[in-house]
Amino acid sequence: MSKKLSLEEMKKVAQLAKLHFEERELLQFLQDVNGIIAHFEKLDRLNLEEVSPTSHISWSQPPTHGDEVLEWQEKESIFQYAPQVIARYFIVPKVVEKEEK
Amino acid sequence: MKDFYVTIGLEVHCQLLTQAKMFCRCSTDYIGKEPNTLICPVCTGLPGALPVLNRRVLELAIRTALALRCEILPQVVFHRKNYFYPDLPKGYQISQYDFPIGVRGIVEFVSGGSKKRVRIKRVHVEEDAGKLIHEGPSLPWNSSGVDFNRCGIPLVEIVTEPDLRSPEEARDYLIMLRSIVRYIGASDGNMEEGSLRCDANVSVSRDVETLGTKVEVKNMNSFRSVFRALQYEIDRQKALLEKELPILQETRHWDETRDITVAARGKEEAEDYRYFPDPDLLPFSIEPKDLEEIAKTIPELPLERKERFMVEYELPEGEAGVLVQEKEVADFFEECLKEFHKPRMLCNWMLTEVLKNLNELEINITESKISPSNLAELLKLVDKREISGTIAKGILEEMFKTGGRVKEIIARKGISFITNERELEKIVRETIEKNPQSVADYLSGKEKALHFLIGQVMKVTRGQADPELAKNLLLKELNSGE
Repeated sequence: MSKKLSLEEMKKVAQLAKLHFEERELLQFLQDVNGIIAHFEKLDRLNLEEVSPTSHISWSQPPTHGDEVLEWQEKESIFQYAPQVIARYFIVPKVVEKEEK
Repeated sequence: MKDFYVTIGLEVHCQLLTQAKMFCRCSTDYIGKEPNTLICPVCTGLPGALPVLNRRVLELAIRTALALRCEILPQVVFHRKNYFYPDLPKGYQISQYDFPIGVRGIVEFVSGGSKKRVRIKRVHVEEDAGKLIHEGPSLPWNSSGVDFNRCGIPLVEIVTEPDLRSPEEARDYLIMLRSIVRYIGASDGNMEEGSLRCDANVSVSRDVETLGTKVEVKNMNSFRSVFRALQYEIDRQKALLEKELPILQETRHWDETRDITVAARGKEEAEDYRYFPDPDLLPFSIEPKDLEEIAKTIPELPLERKERFMVEYELPEGEAGVLVQEKEVADFFEECLKEFHKPRMLCNWMLTEVLKNLNELEINITESKISPSNLAELLKLVDKREISGTIAKGILEEMFKTGGRVKEIIARKGISFITNERELEKIVRETIEKNPQSVADYLSGKEKALHFLIGQVMKVTRGQADPELAKNLLLKELNSGE
């Protein structure tokens, strides 16, 4: 019983990622993604009873930092990447939660 | 009229009291700061920047989960919660999904005079988003401004099971939760400043067996607005059920100025966050010895403390409850008791005069100029009847303003100690001699004349007589002269 993504589902993923594609591109992605799913199905056939789910391949305890403030000295440089800055605010098109009646 | 069954679950976000942000070392002290001054490549989501966890975040979150009697999971895994909004520069929030910090906790609290318990579903950590402004003198029309100072501040999210049955219970749970996070130093729990935020899931059903449609209410930023928003929402849903109209599963915003909830974005689309483990952050193992260390840092919590105060100091439940709500107030009380061991009298002074002065000055007890020793010294004088309660209140007010010890204020203000009984007798006799008309009035049955005479005695003693004693002495003199 093989699972397959539909073109509609592919469109929804693109929409959630706010990416626009032509239909032929989506069909190409669909083929690729379904190939990946088929590969996972192969993995499903393995006996993994003793193996816990892996969210990362490294097993070392990750680095952390202590709770001390260290100010970034170049923060003024960040404004050069912004399309518009007014009174130190990054300016974006107006966002308002839409209200329904 | 048929019965309605109300079910409420709360999701509370508390900013954790760290110096530095969750995944970078920018300061969290953002209130009142100029926009975009507490930022770096990590918290603004610049390409290539990598998050490194602030250890203190785990410590405070575990402390919170333990105080809420949760089971702590052995592994902490961070997930990406994906959505687009301009206050979220990376396009995802680092949050947690299937391995939160703690699960299955319990909070006990008192509501409507009886003890309630609410189950805690989960406690997890995540990063705060930035802030948007939609109005401002220099802001162009049709645009919004983004400030990332708040972005990346650590939050702990505390989710209850749907165990609350009324707006009162929701409010009382919230007050207890705030008290707990403050006791353990995890958060300052200030709703007005947004360091404690609350969303609610509310449903109303006509059948005790089945839940109604779940409506999420957001944007409640005080205990009062939580209470009122829930009350409004429950009434709204009841009215729809009465008319047999459908209740939509949706998110609604509390509009404080209009006293109503308003429908926001449709829910299905917004809920598709496509969580996946953040490949930039490795899972953390929580060692049992670390848990033990953190458990040791949890002080006696408000409810246990209240119960102890009721037994040990014989305080009534209501008073004990108010006294323990703020850890610092309860600490002050117990510190003061070491020098002045009359719990009931001290409790009365704490809950009336001390809290009144704190409220007037808009400060908390640790910021005030008086120490537990100062208060003990003052109350000893009142207790020995060396100064009257009224005078003591004035001295306390002065202590709050200028600090200093009781005796110094008494000397500075020229307050003499209370007139003792023998002196007072003399003053009473003099007062009677000087006011023959009032004496005559009293003797002819005018009660008011007695109050005038008491007033005169108080005036001569500059308020330093015990009014009750003055009255008794006056009556004695007046009646003996009859």
